[in-house]
Amino acid sequence: MTPIRLNPSSGTPLYLQLLEHLKHSIETGAIRAGEQLPSVRKMAEDLVINPNTVVRAYRDLERDGIVVLKHGSGVFVRGSVVPRTDLMKKAEPILRSAVDRLESLDLTEEEIRRLMENELALRRTAKQTRKRRA
Amino acid sequence: MREHEPLESASEIAVAVNHLSRSFGSRKALNDVSFTVPRGRVFGLVGENGAGKSTLIKHLLGLWRAETGTVRVFGLDPVAAPTTVLGRIGYLSEQPDLPGWMRVDELLQYLQAFYPRWDMDYAEALREQFGLDPAARIKTLSKGQQAKLGLLAAQAHRPELLLLDEPSSGLDPIVRRDILEAIIRTVTDEGHTVIFSSHLLDEIERVSDHLAMLHEGTLRLCAPLDEVKMRHRRLSLRFERPRTEPPRVRGAIAVSGAGRAWTVIGDAASIDRPAIARDGGSVLDDSPASLDEIFVAHTEASPATAGSHLRAVN
Repeated sequence: MTPIRLNPSSGTPLYLQLLEHLKHSIETGAIRAGEQLPSVRKMAEDLVINPNTVVRAYRDLERDGIVVLKHGSGVFVRGSVVPRTDLMKKAEPILRSAVDRLESLDLTEEEIRRLMENELALRRTAKQTRKRRA
Repeated sequence: MREHEPLESASEIAVAVNHLSRSFGSRKALNDVSFTVPRGRVFGLVGENGAGKSTLIKHLLGLWRAETGTVRVFGLDPVAAPTTVLGRIGYLSEQPDLPGWMRVDELLQYLQAFYPRWDMDYAEALREQFGLDPAARIKTLSKGQQAKLGLLAAQAHRPELLLLDEPSSGLDPIVRRDILEAIIRTVTDEGHTVIFSSHLLDEIERVSDHLAMLHEGTLRLCAPLDEVKMRHRRLSLRFERPRTEPPRVRGAIAVSGAGRAWTVIGDAASIDRPAIARDGGSVLDDSPASLDEIFVAHTEASPATAGSHLRAVN
């Protein structure tokens, strides 16, 4: 795991800083699926932070389905969590074939970019409307 | 925010202070202070010099009797039951009061006789970790080494309550880290409780889960640290026209700035944003306030030191 740097004097609560760091490490594959996170005690002592801060970060990871707490044995990164870098690799061929087909319609690069951005913007609006209703 | 109560068994209370007041002559050192500290917490106490932090800690130690109000440590009155209470407390002050003529190993022997629960193996482990020579005379130790020895003396009987009064004042970062590590070890080890005062807010922030802020003898804030941080925002405002008077913002604790640019530190829930806009102001930035900003805001918001506008907006 990369060394964790927390900045106590920033406005962001320490547990959120720790949470973001762990999420990022898991998403980029720096911490692998199935790997065990350090115990609350070890993490607190290593980082010299309050153990409750670690507990909160671990709980949020559990709530988000990123880790599982196994009683008596520790906190483990879920097997089903796919590192973001792996996902990006999967996405590449999908995008390639889509762009190939768009190009076959004689669309220019600029038009394809605009179509892509348009589509993303529409989806974003739809998502926000759903959220507001919920 | 309130649902998390980890590492804490039931609702056991380590310290309960109720309506405690104390005067020195005409000056109120403590003014109607009430709070409780659940077991297993790290309770950070902040305030300027003379805010009443040491006075409060001396009441917890039973060195001073409550003038009005009550002080209970583990449910006991520390003045009425000093040996029972002090046997369960570890205390370190800014100036550890160590007998200079003793050798380090002699002090450990002496303390062992003093505390029934003294753990010599632990004391030896700490001595080694802190790099203290057992044969050294205490008066020949550096300030940092004396602080470490003071910390060892406060810790090696595995106190249920560790009380640290400005422990890291004037110490180098390495000793400060030893002190912070001792705090963390105390709570992780056996779920013991720590109360410590400091003017170094990043230390408080790093290890505390509960924050209390004293100002001129009055408890200004006392809440879980995360809650304190979530509750305060910093707004950077820009006004169409330069102002000679600070803007009046509902929910503001402190307002500073000049001309077109003003900064407001305020209560997240009650800052009146539409009113700012009606006043010709736009919010350039709205972010969580740092503990430093929160502290300064509450200190300046005192009626004694702040401008009258601050009272008007509150």
